[in-house]
Amino acid sequence: MVVFESLALLMEPKTLGVILGCAAYGLIVGAIPGFTATMAVALLVPMTYFLDPVPALAGIVTLAAMAIFAGDIPGALLRMPGTPASAAYANESYQMAKRGEAETALGVGLLASAFGGVFGALMLIFAAPFLAEISLSFSSFEYFWLACLGLVAAIAASNSTPAKGAISLFIGLTIGMVGLDPVMGQQRFTFGNINLVGGLAFIPVLIGLFAVSEAFRFGAKPVARPEILPISPKSLFTGVFSHVRRLKWPILRGSGIGSIVGAIPGAGADIAAYISYAVARRFSPKKDAFGTGTVDGIAPATAANNAAVGGALIPATVFGIPGDSLTAVIIGVLYMKGLNPGPTVFLMQPTLLYAIFIAFLIANIVMVPFGFGAIVLFRRILSAPPGVVMALVTLACIVGAFAVENTTFAIFVMLAAGLLGFYLEENEFPLAPVILGIVLGPILESTFLASLAKSQGSFVEFFSRPIAGSLGAITIATILVPLLYALLIRRK
Amino acid sequence: MKRTIIAVTLAALMPGLAVAGDWPERPVTIVVPAGAGGGTDATARMLAERLRDKFGVPFNVVNQGQGGGVVGINTIKTAEADGYTIGVIYNFAHYAPMGQADFNASDFTPIAQYNFDPAGFNVRANSEWNSIGDALDAIKAAPADYSIACGGGCGGSWPIAAATLMSEWGIDLSQVRMIAGQGAAGALQDMVAGGFDVVPSSVPEAGALIQAGRVKSLAVFGSERLAAFPDIPTLSEQTDLDLTLGAWRGVVAPVGLDAEIAGELAEAMSDIVSDESWQAQMAERGFGVQWRDTEAFADFMASEEGSVREIVATLGL
Repeated sequence: MVVFESLALLMEPKTLGVILGCAAYGLIVGAIPGFTATMAVALLVPMTYFLDPVPALAGIVTLAAMAIFAGDIPGALLRMPGTPASAAYANESYQMAKRGEAETALGVGLLASAFGGVFGALMLIFAAPFLAEISLSFSSFEYFWLACLGLVAAIAASNSTPAKGAISLFIGLTIGMVGLDPVMGQQRFTFGNINLVGGLAFIPVLIGLFAVSEAFRFGAKPVARPEILPISPKSLFTGVFSHVRRLKWPILRGSGIGSIVGAIPGAGADIAAYISYAVARRFSPKKDAFGTGTVDGIAPATAANNAAVGGALIPATVFGIPGDSLTAVIIGVLYMKGLNPGPTVFLMQPTLLYAIFIAFLIANIVMVPFGFGAIVLFRRILSAPPGVVMALVTLACIVGAFAVENTTFAIFVMLAAGLLGFYLEENEFPLAPVILGIVLGPILESTFLASLAKSQGSFVEFFSRPIAGSLGAITIATILVPLLYALLIRRK
Repeated sequence: MKRTIIAVTLAALMPGLAVAGDWPERPVTIVVPAGAGGGTDATARMLAERLRDKFGVPFNVVNQGQGGGVVGINTIKTAEADGYTIGVIYNFAHYAPMGQADFNASDFTPIAQYNFDPAGFNVRANSEWNSIGDALDAIKAAPADYSIACGGGCGGSWPIAAATLMSEWGIDLSQVRMIAGQGAAGALQDMVAGGFDVVPSSVPEAGALIQAGRVKSLAVFGSERLAAFPDIPTLSEQTDLDLTLGAWRGVVAPVGLDAEIAGELAEAMSDIVSDESWQAQMAERGFGVQWRDTEAFADFMASEEGSVREIVATLGL
């Protein structure tokens, strides 16, 4: 029985230790405003280099689940979301906290988050193997369109204008082009430098974009934190259960929306929370209370962002196509650990894969006691001086980049990526499309050229295969429909 | 006393001048031109552990898999030949003719070859071909009608093995469609989906799909059948070709390594490879053992360089 073997893998003391450590780390990083879940994972990746596949990946998915919840805490108490995923309802919970209802906001949020997370994990466990079975019949034509869809969605779903999203994406694609081309092995943009033949390595670029850039930003203008609103942990669960019971359908709906939005390439937890919040408002009997501080808005949205993590892991493991920047990193680690994502991994290493899935499920359940702890200790977490934290982050970045690549060149790549990330964010260019471009570019190129070589230069086969044709139609519609719509509106 | 201190200080200041008698007096680096977790890395780490026990200093594995191995192999080639940097190397003759990097057999001091894994000729389980002869005859009759996946780049061990076989069979290589991609695992899945007709790869790599009944391997390009896959016949059983083709791994040092150090390393390698526990460890992980001593390894690298470069030219890569 695969499930028992997987559980046995998880029950090793070392694995459990790594999972617990990652849970605590995820809660702390998620709770600090400005530190995203992606950054938390990026900093952890070099350390996973020295771990076995199961503890490494179980730790990362645990960390992701925890960081997404922990982002809610500063959202309520400081009005600064800890991670972008909590931005949709940060004001909502802050308004409640101002009225002295911080306990209710965070208590309901914690339970709804755990529920959403479990829902997403179950979707992953049951939907992924089913999809994998279907996708065994996917050839390079289908993968080409999946990669295209991912690129288009990366622009459409970014929290910025499509133009800025597209520029970010093309920067990512360009970074991905440096080195040996994935098909013929010819050198590109290497300028005869042997270090560049290997390309700009993914992990150092990632650490630079998401972590070093944050340190630069702090160095450029250190931000003072506003006063933390009071919270009494003793009454955290009073009256919370009646709210959750009352809101069970909106929470379930939010979880559903979250796992589906998460599974769409390019859209991640932050988008899922915005959409779920908007839907909850649309169907709520207490529409007017939204925006003034109501759990009716918080619960469905916070369930959605946690469900999105599980949803995003579906295309990541089945196709190797990332749903968001967080899963782009997880795909990188899967490759690093020899678990090449794709339908065959379900045939070849089911035990490892299910161990990771089950770890994710368990993480979402233990989120309740751990999350409670994080709320209690929040004041202490924030008492760490930011300057010291940033210095430690920078140090961890440098050590991490070197540890992964074993070249000093990687450190320079990381620093350059940090400058790039700083510049992009200062000018409101989204970072997620950059990472998606780096991951999807080589997939797109190799599947396109392999497909053309197979069809001997004919483009017909990109549409004549039924699944490829449907995916192609969806991709082209995603590009054309908004353009046509805008054109129609202008006509009127 | 004073003289000793001076000598020690001088020795510490001039590690490059270490002579064979003193070697090794500090940790040795084993450069592995492949990422952590793969086959090359696994065998290198197994070697490192045993070399450490032999010489009493740590042998540290450094992974440099960037650029399909180009970065790591270059590190081995350009390192100082003082015996403190050695490397694990594998089929590298194709980099130079394909314009990827300038690596030649003469750039390295050969120590010994310790591994060889034969290529397997994998096709879909429902393919009409039931023997390697069927497949090769069909491809010979209409070379442009079939697509063969290279897995990675078309200069890699597996596609070169398949191309060499086809060339020996008299197939017009310039007509054959060899298609590059990313990794044998992805290519095998694509073949199951109908995207390719043939994917040459190591047999263990296709093992899960063979067991799942989706892929069959028509022949293994080795001198005898694999213990883990006793049903797959060898090339020589089915054809009159006696070829051994596939991926090999060996230990080398930068060119110009002191002959005594090279000798000590080769002797240690010989002890390790003939050790039964090492052979069991290799078999358990699915790696084949093949021993070539320094001289045989040097001859092998030189002759392989010639044959691979000829094939690469014929394929027009």
